[in-house]
Amino acid sequence: MHPDDRPLSRAQRLALTAASFLLVAVASMALGPLISGSGWWWLCAFIAAGTMFGGSGLRALRVPGSLVPLGELVILLLLLTLVFGGGTSFALIVPTADTFPLFGDLFDGAQRTIQQQAVPAIAVPALSFVLALGVGVLAICVDVLVQTVRMPALAAAPALVPILIPGFIIESGAEVWALVFSAAAYLLLLRVDVRVRRRANLAGGDDDERAATVVPPARVPAASGLATTLGLTTVGILVATVLAASTPSISTSLLLGTGSQGAIFGRGVTPFIDLGRDLRRPEPRPAFHYFARDNDRPYFTLLTLDRFEGAAWGVTESPVDADNTVDALPLPDGLDGEVEAKEHPIDIVVDEVRTTWLPLPYPTRSVEGLSGSWFWDPGALTVRSVDTDTGGQRYRATWLDRQPTPAQLRSARPTGGDDLAPYLALPDDVPSIISETADTVTAAEATPYDAAVAIQSYLRSDRFEYSTEAPVEEGYDGGGFEVIAKFLENKSGYCVHFASTMAVLAREAGIPSRISVGYTQGTATQERVGGVQRIEVDSHDLHAWPELYFEGVGWVPFEPTPGRGSVPDYSRPGAGEAAETPTPTPGASSGAPSGRPELDPDRGLGASAGGSVGVDGWWWRGGIVVLLAVVVLIAPAVLRAAQRSGRLRRIRRGERPADAAWDELVASARDLGVRLDATATPRGAAVALAEREGFREPAAAAALLVLRDAVELERYGPGRHADEASVARLAGALSTARAALAVGEPLAGRYRAVLVPRSLVDRVRPAFGERTATGA
Amino acid sequence: MQRLRPPRFAAWPRLTRRGGALLFVGVVLLAVSLWFDLRDIMLLAFVGIAMPGVAALFVALRAPKLGVTRTFTPPVVSAGSGASVAITVRNRARRTFDGAHWRDRVPEGLDAPPEAVLPAIGPYEGVLPSGDDTVHLEYRLRLPRRGVYGIGPLRVGVFDPFALARIDRDAGARHEVVVTPRVTPLERALGSAASVDGVLHGLQRRTHPNSDELIAREYRYGDPMRRVNWAATARRGELMVREEEQRGDPEVRILVDTTLAGRPRTGAFAHGNAEHGHAGFELGVEVVASIGVHLLERGFRVRCDPVADPARGSIATANSSGPYHMPGGDRLLLEDLARLEVANRDDAADRAPRGGGDRGEARAREARMPGFAVLVEPDERDAAGLVGLRQTIEPAIAFVAETVSHRVVEALEEADWRVVRVRRPASIGDAWAGIALRADVGAPGDGGERDASR
Repeated sequence: MHPDDRPLSRAQRLALTAASFLLVAVASMALGPLISGSGWWWLCAFIAAGTMFGGSGLRALRVPGSLVPLGELVILLLLLTLVFGGGTSFALIVPTADTFPLFGDLFDGAQRTIQQQAVPAIAVPALSFVLALGVGVLAICVDVLVQTVRMPALAAAPALVPILIPGFIIESGAEVWALVFSAAAYLLLLRVDVRVRRRANLAGGDDDERAATVVPPARVPAASGLATTLGLTTVGILVATVLAASTPSISTSLLLGTGSQGAIFGRGVTPFIDLGRDLRRPEPRPAFHYFARDNDRPYFTLLTLDRFEGAAWGVTESPVDADNTVDALPLPDGLDGEVEAKEHPIDIVVDEVRTTWLPLPYPTRSVEGLSGSWFWDPGALTVRSVDTDTGGQRYRATWLDRQPTPAQLRSARPTGGDDLAPYLALPDDVPSIISETADTVTAAEATPYDAAVAIQSYLRSDRFEYSTEAPVEEGYDGGGFEVIAKFLENKSGYCVHFASTMAVLAREAGIPSRISVGYTQGTATQERVGGVQRIEVDSHDLHAWPELYFEGVGWVPFEPTPGRGSVPDYSRPGAGEAAETPTPTPGASSGAPSGRPELDPDRGLGASAGGSVGVDGWWWRGGIVVLLAVVVLIAPAVLRAAQRSGRLRRIRRGERPADAAWDELVASARDLGVRLDATATPRGAAVALAEREGFREPAAAAALLVLRDAVELERYGPGRHADEASVARLAGALSTARAALAVGEPLAGRYRAVLVPRSLVDRVRPAFGERTATGA
Repeated sequence: MQRLRPPRFAAWPRLTRRGGALLFVGVVLLAVSLWFDLRDIMLLAFVGIAMPGVAALFVALRAPKLGVTRTFTPPVVSAGSGASVAITVRNRARRTFDGAHWRDRVPEGLDAPPEAVLPAIGPYEGVLPSGDDTVHLEYRLRLPRRGVYGIGPLRVGVFDPFALARIDRDAGARHEVVVTPRVTPLERALGSAASVDGVLHGLQRRTHPNSDELIAREYRYGDPMRRVNWAATARRGELMVREEEQRGDPEVRILVDTTLAGRPRTGAFAHGNAEHGHAGFELGVEVVASIGVHLLERGFRVRCDPVADPARGSIATANSSGPYHMPGGDRLLLEDLARLEVANRDDAADRAPRGGGDRGEARAREARMPGFAVLVEPDERDAAGLVGLRQTIEPAIAFVAETVSHRVVEALEEADWRVVRVRRPASIGDAWAGIALRADVGAPGDGGERDASR
């Protein structure tokens, strides 16, 4: 506001710091709807307070203003080490060489958790780390803007960052009270700055010779502006609220045709397509292996698709509940005591599969030995991570082996109730072939169980053929209505088609259904560890199968896909006689290798083959880093060029043109490393400059004299209006003199003058005595 | 020299840089919120848009009531020195007045202090004033040039509490400070005035032959010794002088070149402009001031006329017509000189049908008085006028600046004007001494006697 900013006292700085801190803390509250709990906020507030008040302390110790942000960065690093460094730190706060890889891991984990978690996200350490880091950096930005640049109005920009984020992620955006408080905190900062500035200007006015002596009243009501301030704030916010409420919403669908739902914090997975791709892989990749006593060969569920929208199967989005830790999972839905169920432990070692869903048999009661934060989803009992993935996990799952009898299934009461309604929902536009097929297959069956068995045996009949290639060739890959209808015509497909068809047919028949995606039981090897057979599961064991709900038993898997997996005993027509041993069927044998190159982007369900992706990402990231570095490197040159063009504009317009020309000449000389005394008169400076090599030439020396005389006349002579001729002469002399300045400088020196203009450094240095522009 | 301008009243609130930035952020945010359909951000966007507006409305509606008084010490300032400006700002409202900056409006060319914070002023105290409703401001104003300057009104920039908007209001009235030309003290020990006086004495005696019979008065400092009425002195026992001298007050005439008619109208040699004064003219005014004050102090009545039109009256602008005389004449003279400006060219055109010589004759019947012409850039018509006046003036001394053309100088010298060159203000004393020297040559005895008597 005023060019003459007086130095502030410590108390004034402290007041500004406190107001800035309040702004940052309140603004970060806006993230509340995204993150569950409040611990993360206290952490952020702690980091922000430490950084900002630390910076205030540095200023109190008279650290140069330009170094304070660096000092604050160091403080931020120390604080992060204190909170997150754990055992790697030295004396709790000093980071060691081990700390930085740890931070890197946390950062990577945060990227994953942002991709994987639904809102409200759980503040796992990785997420907290990134929040703390972000808020710390914002705090430093705010601090620099408020205290170093002294433009608190601009502090709105960093403070807006946490406020903007929720709007992009959740529909309702940040909460209104958070916004109002943020606005109030911002206005408070402005108010504090105004007061501090007035005080400082009032107190520091005496040292200027020209300044007036001001004798203020002995005492003035201290809270003089309080009512006004409060009133103005209230009126402003009220007006804003009314305006915001009365503004019609321009729907983005009209404007852009796309939804505003962001991809982060979502589960952007198209499981079926990826599953098909993995199955078509010519060479299987080992996914994981497990050791099961009791000769258990369960299917391993990764995720469960329960929502059918006509075009695709999907997962009902639900935020992770921080209470759903995996040490104790609930009993599966619908299971009552009559069904025989035993808990069996199973040890699983992940080889190459990288996904955020944990392969587990359904239903699992507990999981031990996991690293990272894993939580179960209610209903499906699938387990997913918010900050890590399955890479390198080694864990023990205790699962419930249910053995329902056909009699129990057959006697299951018809399902009802709203709980299961989503599992029965079918879109209205069901193609006729589906309902006809459902009618013909299940018409004769009395109970839902019999209908289910009939559907399974219909799909397993000879009329259907297993092929991973046919759907792709015919163009009906996936699980939507069109695909199912086409599949029912062509009768050729793979597990995705069989599973989705059976699920849809079951829904047509009134049986709640869903699809589980995961792995079949795998292939037993000869290796035994501790008497337990090791069983390998690879990418060709990826599978999808329908699960149907029977009251009293719960979700029961079926196996409609011919030639894959194992058919459960209870689902055979006339079941109950003999236990079927698992029939491992490597997928490669059932279909010819397609010869397609492995260019499928690995979206997490298959084995890791992400080398090329990583390289791409590296290039991309590297490009950004290089770009940023280039921007940072040329920023001074750009600033200097802008300054020069501004002065040239002043010369052209005739606003104290000689002054501008002289300033530019002096700055150019300074850029080249000529050390001119800041207090030197133009004459003195010209004498110093004239000794340079370039000014031995008469034309250059004359140009220098022209500039010198012009600036002397302008500064000390009577004010005159510059005419065109003199302006043109000035501009010409300036370019001549600047060219002469560079004569004799080595090439490196010239580059340095352009890239690292020292005159800018001098400007930034506050001690530099700048002549005020309006001398009389 | 007078730079009075009608006070400009900036009645519209303006957004400060901060307010502008906030408004900009608000608009950008609004665009973002509409584009991405972020209803939540819209609130903040409207805060950004509304706050500057509310602030502007606030400062526009809340007019301060301030009483401003301004005093100059000293009230009349000699050019080149400074005056101390004391401003008392009293809050006449019932509310505390806060959040303002002040700046005293001064004419261009003067150096008032930069805009500064006006401290908070307490509410008006009707009874038992404790002074909390008053702020005293004081600054030193350097006044380098002669003239009459209107100082004020006080420009009060009122901000809202967040400094988003400001409005500039003028408080109080404009006060004039008179900056008189610099007066160079002239050597009074020199005999110059004596020679003038001598001529005058004879003249007066001839005009009033019966003056001896008039009552004598007591001697006052500065009375010439020769006017001592020895008879009356003997009677009264103290030094008495002849009273008739009083009535026929010695009068001198100073002719000032105010039109600068000889100056080139345009082109590269037109140095300076009206705004910043004409160096030669300022020199001339200083010469007039120095001589005039000197002569007034010596008891003369001083008539100050423009060279271009000596008959049409003095340089005095308003209140004082006729010759200046003590007491108070020096102040009036200086004040009139402070207001003196280069006369308009139109005036110069008016005087075309003037018959300088005739009027000169007319004056000649009244008296032959001493005359000083101060010439800066006269044209030949001025010179002719002076030549015509020469017979009414004795002695006739012309102080000429360097800018006076040779032809004018020659014309004057031919008409027996004594031409003394003045180059710069510092040499006024020397120039005066120069005429004294020549006067001494002309009347050595007189001068010596007078010097001894003082």
